[in-house]
Amino acid sequence: MTAVIRVEGRRRSVLRRAWDYLASFDGLAKTAMWTLAVLFTAALLGRLFGLGGSPTAIVGPRLAPPSLAYPAGTDSLGRSLLPRLLEGVMTTLLLSAVAVLLTAVIATLCGIIAGYRGGRTGGLIMRVGDILYAFPAIVLAILVAAVVGPGYIAALCSIVLVTVPLMTRMVGQATRLVAQRDFITSAVISGVSTPVIMTRHVLRNISGTIAVQGTYALSVAILVEGGLSFLGYGVQLPGSSLGLLVQEGTLYMVKAPWLILLPGLILVLAILAINLIGDSLRDRFEPREARSLE
Amino acid sequence: MSAILDIQDVTVEYSTGGTIVRALDGASLAVRAGETVGLVGESGSGKSTLGSLVGRLLPGNARYPEGRVFVDGHDVLQLGVKELRTLRREQLGFIPQDPISALDPTMRIGRQLELALRGLPNDRAALVGHLERVRMREPERVLRLFPHEISGGMAQRIVIAMTMARSPRILIADEPTAALDSNVRSEVTKLVFGLARDAGTTVLWLSHDLRSVGRWCGRVAVMYAGRVVEDGPAEQVLGSPTHPYTVALAAADPAGVQPGERIETSSVDVAALAASFRDEEEVVAR
Amino acid sequence: MRLLHWLPGRLLSAIIVLLGASILIFAAVRSLPGDFAQIVLGPLSNEEQREQLRQSFGFDRSLPEQYLLWLGNAARGDFGLSLASQQPVLDELASRLPVTALLAGMAMLVTIAIGIPLGVYAGTHASTGRGSAAARIVSTIGISFPEFVLGCLVVFLFSRFDLGLSVGAFTSPTTDFGRGVVSLLLPALVLSVFCVAATARTTRDAVIGVLVEPHIAASVARGEPKGFIIRHHVLRNALIPVLTLTATITAYLLGGAVIVERVFNVPGIGSYLVLALDRRDYTVIQAGVLLATAVFVIASLLIDVLTGLVDPRVSVAKKGRGA
Repeated sequence: MTAVIRVEGRRRSVLRRAWDYLASFDGLAKTAMWTLAVLFTAALLGRLFGLGGSPTAIVGPRLAPPSLAYPAGTDSLGRSLLPRLLEGVMTTLLLSAVAVLLTAVIATLCGIIAGYRGGRTGGLIMRVGDILYAFPAIVLAILVAAVVGPGYIAALCSIVLVTVPLMTRMVGQATRLVAQRDFITSAVISGVSTPVIMTRHVLRNISGTIAVQGTYALSVAILVEGGLSFLGYGVQLPGSSLGLLVQEGTLYMVKAPWLILLPGLILVLAILAINLIGDSLRDRFEPREARSLE
Repeated sequence: MSAILDIQDVTVEYSTGGTIVRALDGASLAVRAGETVGLVGESGSGKSTLGSLVGRLLPGNARYPEGRVFVDGHDVLQLGVKELRTLRREQLGFIPQDPISALDPTMRIGRQLELALRGLPNDRAALVGHLERVRMREPERVLRLFPHEISGGMAQRIVIAMTMARSPRILIADEPTAALDSNVRSEVTKLVFGLARDAGTTVLWLSHDLRSVGRWCGRVAVMYAGRVVEDGPAEQVLGSPTHPYTVALAAADPAGVQPGERIETSSVDVAALAASFRDEEEVVAR
Repeated sequence: MRLLHWLPGRLLSAIIVLLGASILIFAAVRSLPGDFAQIVLGPLSNEEQREQLRQSFGFDRSLPEQYLLWLGNAARGDFGLSLASQQPVLDELASRLPVTALLAGMAMLVTIAIGIPLGVYAGTHASTGRGSAAARIVSTIGISFPEFVLGCLVVFLFSRFDLGLSVGAFTSPTTDFGRGVVSLLLPALVLSVFCVAATARTTRDAVIGVLVEPHIAASVARGEPKGFIIRHHVLRNALIPVLTLTATITAYLLGGAVIVERVFNVPGIGSYLVLALDRRDYTVIQAGVLLATAVFVIASLLIDVLTGLVDPRVSVAKKGRGA
């Protein structure tokens, strides 16, 4: 399952090692990574070099089906869908990634404090996490949208508030397990300061949990952003996100099904790819054996 | 010689993550009905693999490239799933090392016994009877408890009761006292051998503890590097060992030392001996 | 008996979570920037209307007093008047509750009826490869389909082609239960896809986790048949993590109902909440969010009690916190 990384005499470059690490994943996870890489590269090319044309220019007839001139068809105003799709992919991925990065920082900090220090502060952190966890995701997003108004900020805040509690809890649990181990005790006895123990020993040992939970949080983020934009309270026009495109597509579902099928398909592919990577990471960090009952 | 258990030149390999580890390397052992055999050897010598092999209970990644195992004439490695199950249920009994984890944590002791004794009389009175046979105090109360509410010694008695209820032909006990407090060890050992003698059960006793093996087993087989390297009457093997590994093992056993005597560690170096053997006997293939 | 050891602590923590959530909801709406009355009523309102609104929200008192007033009323079922319709919020919620309850209940039923057997199959066949790999891929696809995409797809297919069921034609379950169920069939199926897949995954992992436990090995060594071991030992032990998941599933159904009701035009609490958001109807938003949270907290409390009945090891230390 895990590839043996050979130790060589010469130190290999960071890039080379990163590549080897990625190459050690299983086929399904590799396919998933390629899918995400292709999506992101296409979106980047669209942003930097105008691949597919301008997302706002009206270029042709309204609701034209996909053709050579308009590879993804046109929308109700006669804009080409392809550049809007690329813009949507960019927005969705970027927004979700930024939100999850925030989540990861907050959850890691809170989780380590709650798991390692415990006590009052730890209890309070877990309690606040429990309270936030009691809100169903979309319901919490609606509350956020009601307060901060529709837009990027609402989507960002919703994602962070939805993903932080679970990740904090998982990081806290992982930290508690690590904190009980003997090498932490011996570090404490030999007088290593708490911040050093937290960063050098605890953080390093829970990095697997952070990676796995962060990956799953990313798929939840895309779901939340999509759901909120679909309800009309996430990304606003003239911007574009995959959820928003799906919502627009519902209006012309029968006449122009590609308007809903294409962004929907890309959305599903992106979430599927992230979940597959998450599964693969989990298998790697929490290996388990299967057993037969014969 | 009519052996009830006949292990003939068996090789067992585990494949994990692309590498193949050989756990048994041509091990042979023949046991006659009613014998009590102590199987000794250090961790990794293949004791547990040999014990599980008798019931074909090895994990899914185990392969058997060579050798055969007969239990009462049945070719264990070739049996169909159903026949194997019948063999395990009617002829074999296993006592594991950690008794508490061998019980279902979500179920009361009484219910578990009842399920394990399916097909036998398993009403309250019968269950109490089985617990009394293993000298359990307050059997009625114990039947209502959950596994996390009882001690290791009590759990091991329950496992013994479950196992011996069917009077197995062969009992395989894999270090059954290693996880217990030292004050209940001899009691549990005595119990197992007593019940086995009453039922005419053949015992295969896997252990580190040479003293208890010497006391309870009529015969001792020594395993090293996946093979049985020495095999014979207990007093002969433990008293005047011939194989250098057994010599080392017996000498390094603190239990065999008289009170006040220094333990001779410098005279025989187990590690060095082991290393010299590794040169001639490939333990790990590839 | 054992239940009594940890239930009071667990009850207390549920109350704390619920109080915390209510404070959060109250504070969120009160923290709207600017003049609340102006935001709510819009720039066209006159001073008299605004004053009336401030009165009804008790703005002349201190914030803690306002909170306690709101909470006290809410506890008695009085959520005030809807800002948009001037009807009591409770009545409007009550008339929509049966629809959402039926929708979520149907989805839960489907989830349990399909998700758990699928997971048990995948878990018990995990060592044999092919069937398990297929189950795994299918369930991963299942958790990757956002219900708004799947819902739109279903609406598209069923409105484009004649597939027997019509979308958009809704019958209230309170007038005709049978037809109500039929009209909610598609929404419930869409809502359940994620939950079925998530349940199957968790059940599979739980089963695999139980299978490697020594007491299962002991059962195998006693020569017990596969079906017997699964029925008596595996399912019971694997149920514990699956029960824990059910709380999360409940939350998911409550949230997912919002979107599914919107997609299928079902007049339940979810679509009412979105409508309230469109109208900036803050009394309804407060009440709806509080209701959803309360349902989740109560559901997870019940599930913990159930878990306690299945798992004798549950202790205060383990269950003292957590909603």
